[in-house]
Order: sequence, then structure tokens, then C-alpha cells
Amino acid sequence: MNGKQLSLLLIATFVALSVSPSASAIPAFSRRYGTSCTTCHSDFPKLNDFGKAFKDAGFKFPKDDESFLKTPPVLLGAPAQAELWPHTVYPGSIPGLLPIGLRYNTYYQQIGANRNNFNQALPAGTVGNFIPKSDFQPGYFSIFTAGSFGTGISWWVDDDISVAGANANGALGDGYLKFNDLSRFLKMPTDSLNMRAGQFELDLPFSQARTWNLSGWDIFSQANVGIQNGLGPAQNVNNGSALEDAANGVEFSGGHSYQGYHYSFAVFDQNTTGVAISPPNVAPQNAVAFNSDANFKDMYGRLAYRFNLEKDPASRNEVQAAGAMGPRDHTYLALGAFYFYGRTAQPFSGVLADGVTPTVLTAREPYYRVGGDVNFNYHNFNLFGVYVAAHDHNLLPVTASGAEGITGFTPGSAVTYSGGFAEADYLALPWAMTIMRWDQVKSSADRINFIQYDPTAPPGSSFFSPYSATRNRFTPGEQFLIHANIKASLEYQIMPQQVVYNPATGAVITGPFRTNALILGLEFVY
Amino acid sequence: MKKIAVVSTIVLSAFSAAAFAGTIHGKVSGVSGESVVYVEAVAGKTFPAPTQHITIDQKGLMFVPHITAVAQGTTVEFLNSDSVAHNVFWISISGNKKLGHNLGTWPKGQRQSFKFDNPGIVPLLCNVHPEMAGYVIVSPTPYFAVTDASGSFKIDNVPDGAYTVTAWHEGAKNKSNPVKVAGDTSADFTLSK
Repeated sequence: MNGKQLSLLLIATFVALSVSPSASAIPAFSRRYGTSCTTCHSDFPKLNDFGKAFKDAGFKFPKDDESFLKTPPVLLGAPAQAELWPHTVYPGSIPGLLPIGLRYNTYYQQIGANRNNFNQALPAGTVGNFIPKSDFQPGYFSIFTAGSFGTGISWWVDDDISVAGANANGALGDGYLKFNDLSRFLKMPTDSLNMRAGQFELDLPFSQARTWNLSGWDIFSQANVGIQNGLGPAQNVNNGSALEDAANGVEFSGGHSYQGYHYSFAVFDQNTTGVAISPPNVAPQNAVAFNSDANFKDMYGRLAYRFNLEKDPASRNEVQAAGAMGPRDHTYLALGAFYFYGRTAQPFSGVLADGVTPTVLTAREPYYRVGGDVNFNYHNFNLFGVYVAAHDHNLLPVTASGAEGITGFTPGSAVTYSGGFAEADYLALPWAMTIMRWDQVKSSADRINFIQYDPTAPPGSSFFSPYSATRNRFTPGEQFLIHANIKASLEYQIMPQQVVYNPATGAVITGPFRTNALILGLEFVY
Repeated sequence: MKKIAVVSTIVLSAFSAAAFAGTIHGKVSGVSGESVVYVEAVAGKTFPAPTQHITIDQKGLMFVPHITAVAQGTTVEFLNSDSVAHNVFWISISGNKKLGHNLGTWPKGQRQSFKFDNPGIVPLLCNVHPEMAGYVIVSPTPYFAVTDASGSFKIDNVPDGAYTVTAWHEGAKNKSNPVKVAGDTSADFTLSK
């Protein structure tokens, strides 16, 4: 056998091994417990009741976790060492198997015939943005690791290794350590107090970071950036933060998401500009950058209650309901409310009251997001929704008569947006889920922004200049589990009507049009 | 004199029974792990249902034991030793979907019983833990055995005669061979997937 033949044999062997069914994939928890994804997920990553209880318990089985482990944990100290504490390091454990999961997805998009109407605002002969009719796109390649260190301490870290095919173009999603059931030290009810620290998605009623939809809920990605263009009320807000943004800080929580009450309260860095602050030559020297862009700490709180509506009291209080044909998710009604409070800080070059002495003037603009959510489930039918109202204080710069720059700020009309979504999921078969969504966001800032958009620098999204409301859409979809860890999804986004405005006058150039989109996705985890 | 006659009858009967009760032993090859070997139904012959109940546990998200062989008419008790809810169902017995059954849901420490009146292969499943699998092999006769890991088996107390003996293994094709039992009889099976 010559070298070429040997190489071909090695390649053939590698390919054969790569596609071998015996190499079928199971993520971190599946490996640890030797169980299927569907133990915790109804349509991954959507959690079923057991998955919610597993998460609440600190990524452990709610009871008798040790009896389900297929690979024993590695002890970092004999349990008896605990009696020696504080004269020894308190004993813990790490999983016997490296708890790593990987996720990859890829997309295909088909865009409606009006997709290039935005170019009508360009002067004749100008090369504009070209949006193809169809497009294959690489998605996210993500790594995630999570588990329990024993003694009520759990962790989660996920990171996008690449996004859209660009290496290391992703970012850390969540990365935190959670101390579960601190309440046991305070003689409080079980699980009534947990604490996590690090970077985490806020305790939104429905996780945007781990949504099962191909596209996220619009209200959670809504920023509030206003401008002063003379075509609408002046808005001096530059709040780039959205509810979906990861927070860095500390969160206290308690209760359960599968039954009864649940609360959380988080204090975290404010960063409304999205720009980390590089440290100058001051301590701490080992800091890569400062995450906060202001001294203020934001706050977020959530309170919810879930009523399990099973008739049988015993079943009602179990993690899963006892159906006639086996355990299933409860019939339930959950109601919740949440509140976010922050304060942006916009520094401006200005002058003192004398009108000439340069100074820095900072517009500190408090803002809040308040919302409510409802979630109803009956067997395989799940209906849920969120409503959010957002309010940013609007400090408009003023220039005193004769001054050479701005001299202060005066309150203007608050910059607000509101909206939410309603979604119905029907798990027609254990492997097929039908989805109908309606998203809406009404934002005065967005509307004014895109009336004045610059045709030579088209907006970040060409589907973002709605005619009436700023963002609203119907999104029917269907998802199929090819296996418990492989999913094919499609959604059809019926977008709001849009128009193209003359950037100078605000006059309408085109008639209202839609740019609906079909998105297909393939995803697998292992 | 009467006593002597009775004793003689008992001794002769015992001797006769010993003379006509054989053993089937052998090995199932071609597969690895446990298999089940059983004597198929004998025309015109019925057997009383066993009174002893058999227990199959659900523990650590597994059916324990993974393979259980019982005689037709046996009542099996399904115990849940896990602190999560389980259920047990089978969609068919030897492919006959009319014999499918779902036992529902029960919590830790409780049992559900089922009497297997139909012979065949019963693939056990749990509808919330799809990786869970177990088998009940319901033998139409009381002459059956579960092999050891090497495939060796021994079925005792089989009356001499001609039978059809079947070997079953998870994921393999069943194989039935005619076996003439006369005392200590050997029967080997080679199965393939």
C-alpha cells in the first residue's frame, strides 16, 4: 500500500466514522443521566415541566439525583471532610464526564419581491444595497456547559464560537455560578432563596437566549434610540439596551417555575451604549475592560405565580401531572409581572453658565420597562404572551442665548415604546409543533429614525420602516424533531407594511409594501 | 399389603416421571448478552397460570431487569422505584397491535399489575423517557430460560417428546428449531441481526 492509498484509506475511515449512527449525539445532561433530550424538552430548547424543575434544582433531578447518575461524580474531597471545615477546603464534586454540549444551526431565507424597494430613495444610477431573493446562511456554532458542583452549587456557561461563519464572532451568552437553596441556611422554605452571580439573561418570562423560535420575540430586542431630525418630536435618548441583553451582576431568586410562586431580583451593570470601557493605566491592571459605562447599577425584578389546574391534588403538586397515558405537563395558568429600572448617562461637550468655558455636561435619563405575562397550558396546547411598556426620560440639550455650546438640559416628551407578543404552540405530535405568533412594537423613536434614514447608508434592517406601527408581524411556523437532538424548522414572517420616505422632506416615495420572508432552519445539538 | 402397594405405586410413578422428564441445554450464539429460549405451545396441552407474581422495577431510568421471561398467565408487577413519574406501555405483543396496552402513571414506591394471558414478545416503553426499554417474553409453556451473558441456557423438567423451541434476542431475528427431547438434550441456536 503506497502513501496515496493509505491516505485514501484513512480519509475513508474517518468519513465512515463521522457518519456512523453509533456516533449519534447526546448533549451534556443526556450523557450524565443516560436519558433523552425529551426528558426535559418538549421541543428543544423549550422546557417541559420536568425540565423546569431540573433547572430550578440547579441542573439536577429534583429528588434523589445521585440515583440517576450513570457516571459517578469525581469527589473533590471526601464528604466526611465537611466535618473538619473550616480547617479544610469544603468538599465538593465535579461531573464524572466533561459536561459539554455543542449546538449548530444553518438557515435558508427566501425574501419577498419587494425586498429592494428601499433603493427607490437613491438618486438614479446609485448602487444601493442588494438583497438576494434567496440565501443560504451558516448560523451559530455554540458550546455550552452546565451542571452541579454538589452541595447546592451549579453553573452554566454558553458561548457562540462562531456566528454566520465568522470565527469567534460570537459572544458569551450566560456564564454564572448559582448557589441553590441558600434558604436552607436561613431556615426558610426550601428553594425560597437562590443567588447567582456572573453574566446571565435577565429572568424574562420567556427566554430569548434559549427561544425555540427561529426568530426572537421583537419586544425583547427593542432598543430606544431617538434622534432630533425636525420631522418629529425631538428625542435625545440613546438607550441601546434591550431586555434580551445579558446582564452582569447578582441575582436573588426563589420559588419554582413549574409550580407556585417565583421571584427574582437582580442588580447589574448598566451599559446602554454597548461599549466596554478600556481601562487606562490605573488599577486593576488585569482588567481587560470595564463592562459598565456609568456608575449606576440597573435593577430588574420579576414576580410570577403559576396555578397548576389538575383536579387531583396529589398530581397537582408533583413535578409532572399524572395523565391517564403517562406523565405529562400540567394544565396550568401562570401570571407574572416584571420591572426594569435603569439610568442612561450621555456625556456632551458643553459650556458653563458663562457661555464660553468648556465643560462636560451629562444627561442622566432614568428609564423603566414594565410588563406582564400570561402563560396557559392545556395538555399539548400552550398559549402565552407578554406586554411591555417602556419609558425613557428625555432631556433635550439647551443652549443659553449667546453661549458657544449647550449649557444644560430641559425635559422633553418621554420617549416610549410598547408592545409584546402572543404565541400559540401546539404539539400535534411528540415530534411536530405548530406555532402561530404575533409580535408588535410601537416605537415613536423608530418611526422618526427611519423617516429620516440616510439612503446612502441604509438601515441595519431593511424590514424596519413600518407604515403604521413600527414592528408588527404574524409568524406562523412549524418545527419537526428529526431525532430528539435534530430539528428542522420553518417560519413565514408576514411583515408590516413599509414605505420609503424622502430623507430630506419625509415625503412618501413608495406605496406601502411588504417584504415577507420564509426562513428554514436545521439545527442539531450533541 | 395395601401400604406396600401404595408405596410401590409412588416409587414407580416417581421413577417414571424422572425417566420421562428431560432437560434442554445449549447455547445461543451470533449475538452477545442475554437471550431467551422457550418451548413453543404444545398442541392439546394447557398449563395452569403461575400463581407467583414477578416484579419488574423502574430504577435509574431503566427497566430492571432489562429482560424478563415468564410463563403465559403470569402476573407481572411493575414497580416504580424512581423519584420521577414513569409509565409503562407496549404497543404490541409480537407485532399484534390489538394487544398493546398502557398502564398509566404511578409514583415512586407504587406498583401496577398486569396479567399476561397472551404469549409473545412484549417490548416495554415509557412515554416520558424514550430511552427506556425492557422486554417481557411470555412463553406459551412453562419451559423457558434466560441465557447467561455467554448465551448458555438450561431448561429443566421438559417431558420427553417433540417440540418447537424458539430463541429470542433483542434486535435479532427469532429462530425456531424442532427439538426432540429425550432425557438430556442439546439444542444450539445461531441468531443474526
